[in-house]
Amino acid sequence: MKAAVAGLNLLLGMVYLSYGLMTIVDLRRGWEKRGFSHFGLAWIAMAFTCGPHHFEHGLHIAVAGRDGGALDLIAVVVGLPAGVTWFLLRVDALAGGRGDRFISGTPRWISALPALSAIYLVALVGAAGAVLAGGADFNPKMTPNVLLLAVYFLVGYYLARTQLRNRRLIGGWSLSGLSLTFVFPTCGLMHIAFVLYAAAGTYTVDTHGLVIDWLAVPAALYFVWVVRSTIYLQTFDDWNNSSAGSIPAPAAAPA
Amino acid sequence: MTSAGSAAGSQAGNEPDALALRVVARIRVAVAIGVAATGSFLPGMSGGPEWLFLVIGLLWVPWASIVLLAADRATSPVSLLGGPVGDVAVLFAVQMLAPGVAHAALPGYVAVVAFAAYTSGRDFAALLATGALTLTVTAQYVTPAAKVESPSAALFGGVLVAVVLLLDRTADMQRREVARSNRLEGRSDAVLAHIADGVLVTDAAGGVVQGNPAVARLLGRWEDDLVGRHCSEVLGLRAGERALDCSKGCALLAGGVSGDPALGREVWRAGTDGRRQPLLANAVAVGGVDGSIEVVHSLRDITKVKQADEAKTLFLATASHELRTPLTVISGFASTLRSDPDTDPVMRERALAAIERRSVELTKIIDRLLLSSRIEAGRVDLTLAPTDMAPLLWERAEALAAATDRTISVKVPGDLPAVHGDAQACVTVVDHLLDNAIKYSPGGQPVEVEMRGAGDDVVLTVTDAGVGMDAEQAARCFDKFWQAESTDVRRFGGTGIGLYIVRSLVEAMHGDIAVSSVPSAGTTFTVSLRRALAEAPHGGVTPGTEPSVIREFMRQIGVPMRIDA
Repeated sequence: MKAAVAGLNLLLGMVYLSYGLMTIVDLRRGWEKRGFSHFGLAWIAMAFTCGPHHFEHGLHIAVAGRDGGALDLIAVVVGLPAGVTWFLLRVDALAGGRGDRFISGTPRWISALPALSAIYLVALVGAAGAVLAGGADFNPKMTPNVLLLAVYFLVGYYLARTQLRNRRLIGGWSLSGLSLTFVFPTCGLMHIAFVLYAAAGTYTVDTHGLVIDWLAVPAALYFVWVVRSTIYLQTFDDWNNSSAGSIPAPAAAPA
Repeated sequence: MTSAGSAAGSQAGNEPDALALRVVARIRVAVAIGVAATGSFLPGMSGGPEWLFLVIGLLWVPWASIVLLAADRATSPVSLLGGPVGDVAVLFAVQMLAPGVAHAALPGYVAVVAFAAYTSGRDFAALLATGALTLTVTAQYVTPAAKVESPSAALFGGVLVAVVLLLDRTADMQRREVARSNRLEGRSDAVLAHIADGVLVTDAAGGVVQGNPAVARLLGRWEDDLVGRHCSEVLGLRAGERALDCSKGCALLAGGVSGDPALGREVWRAGTDGRRQPLLANAVAVGGVDGSIEVVHSLRDITKVKQADEAKTLFLATASHELRTPLTVISGFASTLRSDPDTDPVMRERALAAIERRSVELTKIIDRLLLSSRIEAGRVDLTLAPTDMAPLLWERAEALAAATDRTISVKVPGDLPAVHGDAQACVTVVDHLLDNAIKYSPGGQPVEVEMRGAGDDVVLTVTDAGVGMDAEQAARCFDKFWQAESTDVRRFGGTGIGLYIVRSLVEAMHGDIAVSSVPSAGTTFTVSLRRALAEAPHGGVTPGTEPSVIREFMRQIGVPMRIDA
């Protein structure tokens, strides 16, 4: 199990870092045409703090011989399909593909997702009880991971709301949107699994891990600020802003 | 007398300092995260201090973040009141849970109360100060270790009162001054920003010191790119064929150009596309900020006025000719029918049919003219959606072939993808191109229409084997009111706006149109429209944009996306 936890966390770390690099390339390419993107920078900040968190965690288990918990493994396994799907769709888009797949109607497996999520959450709560049964020591070292859980669930909420609204409009689902919607909450649950094991004493929160996690907090807050400002307040325009499909004004004729 | 400006100003004067609120909210979050992070690194902590850092990390950081998000709206009570209240609660927690450093909470209270007095006024700050004093006394009773000596407590109370009164007064004066200054500055900025005429201010030596958005648009530059350059470089004005000499001061001021200075003088400059840009220009000298002389130039682009003049003349000539032909027929037959009530029934039927046919023709001409003027005015809004071109193409081709007794061959594959376009605009485009092909192949040569998918596009080609055009004519064929030869109006009829309409509609649908033609051999028009994605407009990469991971995320999280022009 240790090998699985380590391997999957390393894989997740690599995916995040690759995604961060992809976003840097995108930001750089679009900067001249569309200007600076707060969304881009916020994504990069998230990818380069989330990625190292998983990478460092995986390395500790793989190289330093630390323990890997079953709950951690489950959390990563549950989140991985969504994360890998989203990542592969982005690779597809960069390679000239559509970067998305349309799912017509609501197939049974999508209908089952809310129930499966609820079962997963209940099981997680039960498993948390089992993990903490031997005693728990919650201390300030776990604070950043708890804060990240809250932020990721908030972002997940924004995404889920948009997917539900779009489903009504297009009579189906966007695979890209659906996968992203599940990436954030499952990521949050990975952090909470980490907190549970740290409280139970299975995991050790060391200095460099703590530094990475604390850096992730302002990155996540910046991300939430950008999302809220563009969706609700229109405080600033980002890369969503370009002109609509009306007839352009004719060019000036010679005087 | 109370003016609208002073009423607005007084309202603005009561608004909190939005910038201060945002800055303090950011500082608060940074401090909260910094303190919580520091606490998590401290070794061997337990009991009260450990609880304190948990409170800071798990309560103050989220609360400060909520206040930070709320600070985007300066009038939000969460931002105005919630921040200081949360801060006071945290300082109380410090007094209770870490009595060893309880005295450090006192300057903290002073800072929080001072900020509240500045942003929210005396009443709230007084309430907060009273709360701070009460909490400090309570902490002493509950946790004796947090005791504050009487002189310190008295000093603390005095400082709080002084801070409230002083900062409330200072903030009030500042708000009044800012409101007055904003009123004056806002008015002049609003005038400059929204006036349609370009305004350019130069110093006495001709260096540009300020330009409004209209002048930047007029000159085809960014506003920032104007400042610091010489006016002769950015304006390059000419009167007649002579460049204005600004080396010895402003030529407009010196009367170097004829015309009424009050109404403006007619000059021109070379536009960014190399064409003449006619302007009505004026200049006036004013005192600068530091007592120097500055010249305020006002510039009005009169290209459209000139164009309108020319277009009106051309339109009158073209439209009168085009309208006269069917009207003559209608009038002639109507007159014949009226003068001879006993006309042979066959002849009578023919006359009525001719009147009907010519009336339809007239309606078409008028529709085209109206559509052209709507395009010109930018009043044609299209609804872009997946549109199936195949049935539309068959229907229009069959109708026109039947009406003109001509052969139109149509090649459309069965799996032709839908285009991302407006159905009505697509019909207009097809109709005009087919009309055009038939009109300019007077020998009755067949017309070929083909449509196929090509990568991300769907391509429509309309080919005739008619009179064709040379390269220069082909380059201008999409211009409004243009026809290959001046005699074409008589030879082929038409208003010369059909292809202008086609190009405008195709471009509005994010498509392209091209023409290839050989004189006496024929012409091919190629229209490329975007292929509609199955899940457009919500479920796929937005048409007309390159793949962007950033935009994709924005789309999925619900940021309103707009299609690229």
